[in-house]
This record gives sequence, C-alpha cells and structure tokens, in this order.
Amino acid sequence: MPEIGTPALVYMVAALIVPFVRPATLRQILLLAVPVLGLLTFWQLPYGTYGTFNLMNMHVGLMRLDALSYVFGLIFSLAAFLALLYAWHVRDTVQQVATLLYAGAGLGAVFAADLVTLFVFWEGTAIASVFLIWARRTEGAYATGMRYLIMQVGSGVILLAGIVLFYRETGSIAFSRMDLESPATWAIFLAFGIKCAFPLLHNWLQDAYPAATITGTVTLSAFTTKLAVYALARGFPGTELLIYIGATMTLFPVFFAAVENNLRRVLAYSLNNQLGFMVVGVGIGTPLALNGTVAHAFCHILYKALLFMSVGAVMYRTGTSKASELGGLYKSMPLTMIFCVVGAMSISAFPLFSGFISKSLILSASADTGHFFVWLALVVASVGVLEHSGIKIPYFTFFAHDAGHRVKEAPFHMLLAMGITAALCIGLGVFPSLLYGILPYAVDYTPYTVTHVVTQLQLLLFAGLAFAVLIRTGLYPAEIRSVNLDFDWTYRRLLPAALSGVAYLVQGTWRFASRIVMGRVDSLIAGVYRAHGPQGPLARTWPTGSMVLWIAVLLGMTLVLAYI
Amino acid sequence: MTNHPNGKTEGMPPLARLLSGFDKPRNVTRLFYLLLAVCIALGLADFLYHKHGYFAVEEFPAIYGLFGFVAYAAVIFLAKGLRLIIRRPEDYYEPFAIDTEDERAAGSDPEATGGKPHA
Amino acid sequence: MLDIIVTNLPALQVVVPLVAAPVCAMLGRGDRSWAFATLVSFLTFAISVSLFVAAYGGEPISYEMGGWAPPIGIEYRIDVLNAFVLMIVSGIAALVMPYARRSVASEIPAERQAFFYTAFLLCLTGLLGVTITGDAFNVFVFLEISSLSTYALVASGAWRNKRALTAAYNYLIMGTVGATFFVIGIGMLYMITGTLNMADLAVRIAEHGDSRTLRMGFVFIFIGIGLKLAMFPLHLWLPNAYSFAPSAVTSFIAATATKVAVYVLLRFMFTVFGFDYAFQASTLENVLLPVAIVAMFAASLVAIFQDDLKRMLAYSSIAQIGYMLLGLAFLTHTGLVATIVHLFNHAVTKGALFMVAGCFVLSAGTSSISSLRGVGRDMPWTTAAFVAGGLSLIGLPLTVGFISKWYLVQASLELGWWPVALLIMGSSLLAVIYVWRVVEAAYLQPAPEGVIRREAPLSMLVPAWILVGLSIWFGIDASLTTTAASRAADTLIGSSQILWQE
Repeated sequence: MPEIGTPALVYMVAALIVPFVRPATLRQILLLAVPVLGLLTFWQLPYGTYGTFNLMNMHVGLMRLDALSYVFGLIFSLAAFLALLYAWHVRDTVQQVATLLYAGAGLGAVFAADLVTLFVFWEGTAIASVFLIWARRTEGAYATGMRYLIMQVGSGVILLAGIVLFYRETGSIAFSRMDLESPATWAIFLAFGIKCAFPLLHNWLQDAYPAATITGTVTLSAFTTKLAVYALARGFPGTELLIYIGATMTLFPVFFAAVENNLRRVLAYSLNNQLGFMVVGVGIGTPLALNGTVAHAFCHILYKALLFMSVGAVMYRTGTSKASELGGLYKSMPLTMIFCVVGAMSISAFPLFSGFISKSLILSASADTGHFFVWLALVVASVGVLEHSGIKIPYFTFFAHDAGHRVKEAPFHMLLAMGITAALCIGLGVFPSLLYGILPYAVDYTPYTVTHVVTQLQLLLFAGLAFAVLIRTGLYPAEIRSVNLDFDWTYRRLLPAALSGVAYLVQGTWRFASRIVMGRVDSLIAGVYRAHGPQGPLARTWPTGSMVLWIAVLLGMTLVLAYI
Repeated sequence: MTNHPNGKTEGMPPLARLLSGFDKPRNVTRLFYLLLAVCIALGLADFLYHKHGYFAVEEFPAIYGLFGFVAYAAVIFLAKGLRLIIRRPEDYYEPFAIDTEDERAAGSDPEATGGKPHA
Repeated sequence: MLDIIVTNLPALQVVVPLVAAPVCAMLGRGDRSWAFATLVSFLTFAISVSLFVAAYGGEPISYEMGGWAPPIGIEYRIDVLNAFVLMIVSGIAALVMPYARRSVASEIPAERQAFFYTAFLLCLTGLLGVTITGDAFNVFVFLEISSLSTYALVASGAWRNKRALTAAYNYLIMGTVGATFFVIGIGMLYMITGTLNMADLAVRIAEHGDSRTLRMGFVFIFIGIGLKLAMFPLHLWLPNAYSFAPSAVTSFIAATATKVAVYVLLRFMFTVFGFDYAFQASTLENVLLPVAIVAMFAASLVAIFQDDLKRMLAYSSIAQIGYMLLGLAFLTHTGLVATIVHLFNHAVTKGALFMVAGCFVLSAGTSSISSLRGVGRDMPWTTAAFVAGGLSLIGLPLTVGFISKWYLVQASLELGWWPVALLIMGSSLLAVIYVWRVVEAAYLQPAPEGVIRREAPLSMLVPAWILVGLSIWFGIDASLTTTAASRAADTLIGSSQILWQE
C-alpha cells in the first residue's frame, strides 16, 4: 500500500463514495473492505511519523506509528470491521456514513502525532458518532443525542483551549507526556476525562449508548472511550490522581448496573467500570501497568462489542432490551445465548477467556506497587463485573422466567460477527502470547499459574454461588421498569428547574429593561442605516466635485501633518 | 425457576432442545448442588499447593472464595438500598428520553413484537 | 535561442502583452481575438512564474532596458516582492481569460469584442509594467496605460447598463487626479535628487536629508496612490466602477489593480523614502491607521445594506483594503507580512467572488441579491463557490482569509495594541452578516415562480472553483505564501533604514 499519511483518509474517501454505490450488497462489500484497506495502510509500515508538514509554523504529524498507537490502530480496525459486518442488514445511508467517519476519526486521533490533529479528529468522533444516536429518529433520541453532542463537543472545546494555552507556554504542539502542573495540561486532562467518563463526567455514556440504534451502539462502544484511554496513556502515564479516579470508576457503576433494567444501559455502566481498570493502569504507569491498560482495552473492545451484539441481536428479534420484558430466550436463540455467555465469561475474567489475561496485568501491577486498597477495590469491582455483566445480562435475557418471546435465531451475519468475536475472545484467552507479543513494552508475565487460576475460580464461583443463594431465597432484586437517578439528574432536572425559577425572575426584569434597550438599539440601527444604507451619505454615488473635495481635504490634512 | 409454558419443545432449534432439560426445577436444584460441590472443592484445593500472593492476607485458605461470596452479597444489598433512593417512574425524564419510547425504533426486525407497553 | 529568451524574460513580461494588444485588435472576430488573448495571458503567467522561481531563489534580478545602464536607462528590478505581485496579476489574468469568453459574449456585442480584449491586454501590460519596473517615472507611464485601458473597460459595461459611462467618467477624473498627484510628487523628488531610478533615488534622498520639498513629494505620492488603491475616503469611484463594469473586468481589476497600487505604496514608502523620517511614521499612525480602521467598519456596514451583489462585494473590497493598509500602518515585520499575504489572499478570494457574481449575472440577468432567492437549488455549484469564498472573506480557519487575519492580529498583539486586534475581529463579524444575507437568499428563501436559471457554463465555473480551491489550499498549507511574504518583507526592510518598532 502507498503511504497516505493517515488511515483515516481511507475511511473518509469511502464515506464520500458509499452513498452513491448501488446495489446494496455491493455497498456492504465496499463497507467491509474499508477497515481492511485502512489496516493495510499501516500494517507493515516501520515505526515513525508520517504525513508531516508545517501549518503556520507548527509541526503537524498525521500519523505517528509506534508500539502504543499500533495496537490501538489494530483493534480499532478490527472493531470497525466487526461492527460493519454485524450491521450488514442496515440499509440506512446515514448510519453507514456515520460509522465510517466515526471509525476513521477514531483511528485518525489515535495516530495523531500532534495536538492539533488530535483535536480535529477528537471533534470528528463527536460529530460523526451523534448520528448513530439520531438515526433512531425519535424525539427522545434527538434530545439524548443533543445532550451527548454537547458533552462531546464541550470536551473538544476544552481540549482546544488547553492546546492553545499549551502552545503559548511551550511553543510546541507535540502530543507527548505531560505533567499536571499548569492550566493548559489541566484543561487537556479534563477534556480527556470527559471522553473517558470520569466519575461525575460519566453520564453521557449511560445516557447516550442505550439510545443509539442496535448496530450504532456496537460501534459506539468501541471507539470514543478507548480513544480517551489511549490519550491518557499517551499524555498522562504515571499520574497518581488517575489511580484514585480509576478505582472510583470501577466501583460506583457496579451498584447502578445491578438495579438497572435497560440491558444496554447495564452494559454502558459496565463499560464505565471496565474503563476504570484501564485508568488505574495508566495511573500506576509502570510498564506492566501500561501493558495491562493496552491489553485490557484490546480485549475489552472485543468482549464488550460481543455483549452489545448479543443484546442487540435479542433486541433485533424481540424489539426490546429491558430485562423485565425478556427471559427464556435460550429456547429461541441458543447460538446468541452461547456467544453472550462467552462474552460474559470474558468480561468476568474466567481463565481461558480474554479478560483473564488482560485484567490480571493491571491487578498485578497495582499489587506490585503496593497499592493495597486500590487492589482491593479492583477485586471487589471484579466481583461486581461478574454480577452485572457476567450473570445479570445472560441470565435475565436467556434464562430466568420465560417472557414468552418465540422468535427466530439472530440473522446469519450477526451470528457470524458474534462468532468471530467470540472466537477471538477465547483465542486470546488460550494463547495470551498473541496479544502480549504486540504490547508496547516487553512482557515477562505468566497469567496461568496455579495460584492465579485457582484463586480466580474461587472468587468467581463463590460469587456465583452467592447469586444462586440469593435467587433461591428470593433476595435478589427483581427487575422493575424504572428510571434510576444518576448524576445526570443535576443537569436534566435540577438545573432546568433552577433555571426556570431564575428565568421567571429574569423575565420580568428583562421585559422591563428590553423595552428601554430595544428603543435605543432601534434608534442606533436607524442611525447606522441613515449613514450606511443604500441612500446614506456613505453609499450614495457622489458627484465628481465632492469626490475631489475629499481629495483636497485629505491632501491638506496630510500636508499639515507633514509640516508640523 | 423457569416454567416452560405447557412444556413443549417442538419448534425449538435443535441446540435449544438439547439444553431445554436444564431449566426443569429438579435439574436446577442439581445444578445448584453441583456448583456448591465445585466451590467446596476449590476451597479445599488451597491446601494442596503453595500460594504466591502479593499480600499477607491472601495466604488465608479459600480467602478469595469467601471474599467473593461476601462481596457479591454486599454489592447486591447495597444496590438494593441504592435503588430505594434513586428509583423513579419510567417516564420521569419525558419527553427528553428514550426510556418509554417503543424500542423497535432502534432498528429491530420489522416482525419484532416489542416489549409490553408501558403501564 | 533559449538563452536569449531567458535573459530577456523581464522585458518579455511586459513586451509580450504590449505587442499582443494591437495584434489582437487586428484579428477582428471575437473568438479569434479571445483565443489569442488567452494564449498571451497564459504565456505571461508562465513568464512570471519563472521570474518568481528565479527571484525566490536568490538575488534580485536587475535588467537594463535596451542595454542602457541605470540611472540614465530604465531598469527593471525584480525581487521577491514584485515577483510575487507579478505572479498574482498574471495568474488572475490567466484565469479570467477562459472565464471571459462566455461572460463577455453575453455582455458585449460581437464586433466590439476584439477591442475589449485589446484593452484587457493593455491593462495587463500596464499592471505588470508598474510592478516590474525600477524606475519611478516608468511607474507613472505604466500606471497611465493600465488606468486608461481600465476606463475603457469599465465603460464597455454600457451595453448592459448605461450608468457604466458615468462610472467610467468619474473613475477617469479621479484616476487622473491621482496620477497627476503622483507625477507631481515624482517631479518634486526629481527636483531634489535629479534622478528617477528608484534605487538611485533612495541613495540620494538619504544623502540629501529632510526638506520641505521632500515632504511635499511624499504627501503627493501618498495621496496619489491612495486614490488608485481606493483608500477610504478616496474610494468613491470604486463601487460604481466595479458594479457597472463587465463581470470579467470586475473580477480582474478587483483582484489586481488595487493590489498593484498597494505594492507601489509599499515600494515608495520603504525602498524610495527608505529611512526614518518622523513625518513618515506620523502619517502612517495618524492618517493611515484611522483611515484603515474606519474603512474596515464603514465599508462593511455599507456592504450590509447593499442590494446589489457586485456593489456589496465592491464595498467589501474597500474594507479589505483597509486590512492591507492596517498591516502597513503597524510598521512591523509581522504587519508587513500580513499586508503582503493579504494581497494574495484577497486577490484569490475576491477574484473568485466576482467571478461567481458574473455567473449570476449571466444566468439570472442581474446581480441584485433579492433576485437571487432560491438560486442555491438552480445553480448549486456557483452558489457553493460563493459560500466557500464568503467563508474566506469572513476569515474562517482553513481559508486564506484566516491566515491574513491571523497575521494581522498577531501584528497588533506584538505591539500591544489589543483594541486594534478586537476591532479586526469585530469587523469580521460584519462580514458574517453581509455574506449571510446572500446565503440566506440563495438557500433559505423560495425561488420566485416561473424563473428559470441554468447552472453557469463550465468555462466560467472552473476558473471560479480554481480560485476557491486556491483559497482553501493556501488556507490549509500557507507555507508558500507566508514564506514568500516574509521574504518580501525582509527585502523591504533590508532596503530601508527605518528603525523598526519592536
């Protein structure tokens, strides 16, 4: 493949072509070819920076290929391919184009060698991805998309502010390791934090992902947050604050997920919790921890996509993703059930599944560096993961009480996409060296020790036993149709309420003041119009004599000035 | 736990028919005891090898299992408590949310019947 | 053979269009004369590109006309600055010529077209001559060649609208007053120095020192050129001349004539009056700076209320000239870079926009904004070109307009004149309003019933889009233009001894 600067280009060109391709099958084949072509553009390239040029005296580098960006480029391409395969049946041009642009922007951002390129693609992911939510084409989805867009674009704006400050401070826009010591780096950190769904900045995630289309959510789950993890790993490795942020992130979503009814929102909480593990890894910042973050991001994209795919397939056939409306589906969709269970076991980190070989890197790193309480939080969070993703998702969808849905098995292309993803999850779990071989640092780590396998099995199976006991005793909380408040309540309810109170007060004052001000403004505009309007002295066609008079005036003025 | 309506298995995919025995109450109970047995075996396995832990507390036999059991129960009970505070009717955020909308708008199969309408 | 051509390139730059002009008149038929003039414009562009390459690489090229050594003989002197301007002028000409065929065919009777193209080539000759020459009196001669032919070109709009005649007449009077002032100024310089060669003038003025006559000369030249470049409030000839001239002429002179005048101002300010007179700086600060700022606002405000698209663009040009003069008034390196870069950027942007206006005139028969309602659907490509050009006029990032504004703001911040920086941004907002008015009419308002407007022909669309493309290309990768501008500013500073404000 010729060098073209950034693989994002392939996606963008394809996004331009795709709307004009007929028939539908040809278009789908073209769509599937895009990630492959994109991958080929950097697959065999030697490490280095490509697509460099000078933009107003700033060094821009479109593609920095090194050990870190390579892994993310690889998994993003893979995720794009799987998501597009899963969406084979979708005939909506908007979604197809948005998926391409979104994946392309994600890749472009990961390869960005400088902050300006990063910013451009950063906003690109925000703007392209919102169409996957709006593609649902309902009132609620539109409002949700707007909220999502505000958060995402807000993140971009803060990033831009940070970049501008950073450039003023250092005179460079290179994207490399930063320290949290100036407003510039704090702003950049905050921008990354929004996209990474840090606690209290996280609600866009749980709000928006369940609102996207079935296929859209699968795509969404892969890129935005992992891009943020990548950016943190690149910019802020070893920042101690991240350890505590990450630990909090692993814990609190567990409780929300346990009582959430919408299964795709459960998965969004679970996504938040998994991000926590990665953020802890970045915060610890040792080679082992960073390897853990990268490996976990890699595995996580796969098994999270698999879980979203299986819930999506159920939703595709039954028309709902609410736990209270589902159950007993293994009778209709046994293959989907099996893939879902593979995803569930992967995320719960059962030995021989991919989560086991990646999460343990982070846990070991936290223990190695003596962070006992962080380590403990991660172990508790692991139990939580088992609860909401490992048990709750498959159990309430495919088992529990039979809700009476008698539907067909998922379509073939969905099964194929899930099958490939499931095979990858197991493959990585059985042959960890495949993944360890491409991690940024040389790894000397053996996940399969007797201690590790036995203790992990104990942890998971005893927790499973607890679940069984609670179910049998009826103590397990029933699934109820409800909305659960989270931090987003502050800006969806509290803020509007407060604002409407304030608005009432302001309105009265405003009406009074505006009457006065409008009068002034009107007369100002009238004055401007009198001077500048088509008939005003400044716009009129002047007789030659008056023109010459002006010349005389200006000449006289300048002469006087010159003489003084 | 689960009751198959009229217990028929016709019309189910072959794979599903293979699995259908599992949710008979008798088999569920068997599965439960099987799980219990595996757990006890795993707990006892701790005495059979030398543990390589990072912290002293890991040396305690079957600590991981006990911890998992307790943590799981704690998560559930805390979540139940949390639900008392945060639970609201499904139409709480109407009309700016998707919670009560027909989920088939998200691109379901045209033949999908959807969940039960909102009560 | 090739050697001779190469060594005589500076002369050919002017001689080729000059000789071609009468030939063109003799060719008679419209099509033939058009084809010939187009060929000539391509040739001149090729020459100026090779001159730019030569000048960009190294020392200024000095060419003695007819082998007579300066200061007695006429010297052509090409450094980065005027090579850059030459390239702008001939480049725009080479784009306007293909555009002109259809546009001129619809606006000028067939039997007169040969004379039109003759006048066009003469105008090109004049503009190139003004730029290339190193002789002060020669500047006047070429200025007159270009002005006289421009009056004729503007008057040729009379077949479409009779008011073109009065516009041309006004322009004639004003232009002649300007030229007279200019030649008076040069006469005064000659009085005290006894030479007309610019380089020689600079040396002798330095030896001579300050005097009344020198000051008078400076003021007359300043005002004379101010008229030519439509410095506010000496701009009164411009709106009518631009609105009533044939579309091709407007695109050409709007993109080049005022730019060449700015170049002459720069050349005289720095190279000729090349050292620090207090009066020079005070003229800049007390006359040019306020005039430039008033122009930015007053002209933009007028543009907002205009109904005619070409007239609106003409007023916008006056405002944009304000930006160029502002950069000059800063009297710093960055300010100069801003001025020179804006020369190019505005030529590209305004050339494109006037071409678009010409397309509207061709298809809709008028350039009134109210008659452009709903035109976005009928003429999507033309309207899209307008939007892209309009964005550049506003100064949005990724367009050349942004590059200019960026340097201007930088220059004002360097001096700590942040109110000026705010004013620059404020005036950009005015541009948003007048561009938006057109966009709103074209896209958001329904087309009047029963009106058929066909998309403009490719021969007009392609040149317009080439300019639009350039305005985006150099907005993204401005390294060529800014380096050239920066080198040009270096030459100007190098040739003068002005104590630079730091």
